[in-house]
Amino acid sequence: MNIDAELDVWRRQWQSGVEPVPPDLLRKVELQSRFMKIAFAADILVTAGIGGGVIALAVRSPKPDILLLAIVTWLFIFAAWTFSLTVNRGTWSPAALDTASFVDLSIRRCRARLAAVRFGTVLYLSEIAFCLGWIYRHAPQNRPSLLAWLVFSSLFIDMVWMCTLAFFAFLFWYRRKKRAELAWLLDLQRQISEPRA
Amino acid sequence: MGSDGVVFDAGPLNLVDRVTLERQFDRLLAANGPALTRLAASYTNTAGDRDDLLQEIALAIWQALPRFRGESSERTFLFRIAHNRAISYLARVRSQPPSVEEWEVHDPSPNPELGLAREQAAARLRAAVHRLPVAWRQVVTLTLEGLGYGEIAEVLGISESNVGARLSRARQMLREALENKK
Repeated sequence: MNIDAELDVWRRQWQSGVEPVPPDLLRKVELQSRFMKIAFAADILVTAGIGGGVIALAVRSPKPDILLLAIVTWLFIFAAWTFSLTVNRGTWSPAALDTASFVDLSIRRCRARLAAVRFGTVLYLSEIAFCLGWIYRHAPQNRPSLLAWLVFSSLFIDMVWMCTLAFFAFLFWYRRKKRAELAWLLDLQRQISEPRA
Repeated sequence: MGSDGVVFDAGPLNLVDRVTLERQFDRLLAANGPALTRLAASYTNTAGDRDDLLQEIALAIWQALPRFRGESSERTFLFRIAHNRAISYLARVRSQPPSVEEWEVHDPSPNPELGLAREQAAARLRAAVHRLPVAWRQVVTLTLEGLGYGEIAEVLGISESNVGARLSRARQMLREALENKK
């Protein structure tokens, strides 16, 4: 056997062992998996709480407005679940126990989270618009105009805007974080797939 | 100079530097994890010991990283630390090489016979490398990871001609060991 060919064979044999996933990446993916399970359980609880609540309300007082509230609430819930199940498909576990699969899974999770940020923005705005409209409709007869009512007319409205502000600040920070993470993961994936110089 | 033989540039760390370092550390481990694992495995007998050594190497890299000035390549930097840690580990535990059978692993590939033969050949090589004296083992493991003479000389702190001489002798020993195992 040619000397360099012998070395090449040995090199291939040496590097053919199962490549374990780096501990940091493994820990990160496991932590995300745990968080996803907790979030899934929380989604079920929220669905049961809010969805069950509006159904109970509609059963107790079956007025058209309450029925509308129940139907629209369930439409929001349906949209959220459809999105969640679609976007999280294939992100629960890696395809194989190697580094490339773990990086690929992290990338898919990152993209899912970024899609969730976009969907969450639209869903939140839709919910806020519907809820405020519904509450305004049921406000006392001597209520101010809608615009005046929306601009700091009560502590409740103040709280709504403060929560909205906090929510969007969080989304902005989260989106930046995830985009940076995605860029890093894509770079890592490129390094893994390209042969080293 | 640090305890792992790497040229250091000491200085305080701010938060931004720390985040950058954490990313650099994660990237280095992800890109070189398999090579470092194989290196750790060549100095240890069990998966537990290998993981312990790997953890020591990762810790040493983390401690040395803030003071890495980039005078050598990242790969040379990593392997230098890893080899120095491995030598410290050997000095501490006085490791004995495992038998070939301990390396042999069942390979559930679509063609079991071919897969198993390939895996056994790899296992024989790993065992043979593991049995080499440390000075020769270092040169062989680095060569098998794809490092050139210059890089190996830098990692081990020896001349390139010394690398060539050691490698030549190590290959002869490996050939004999593999022939005897056939």
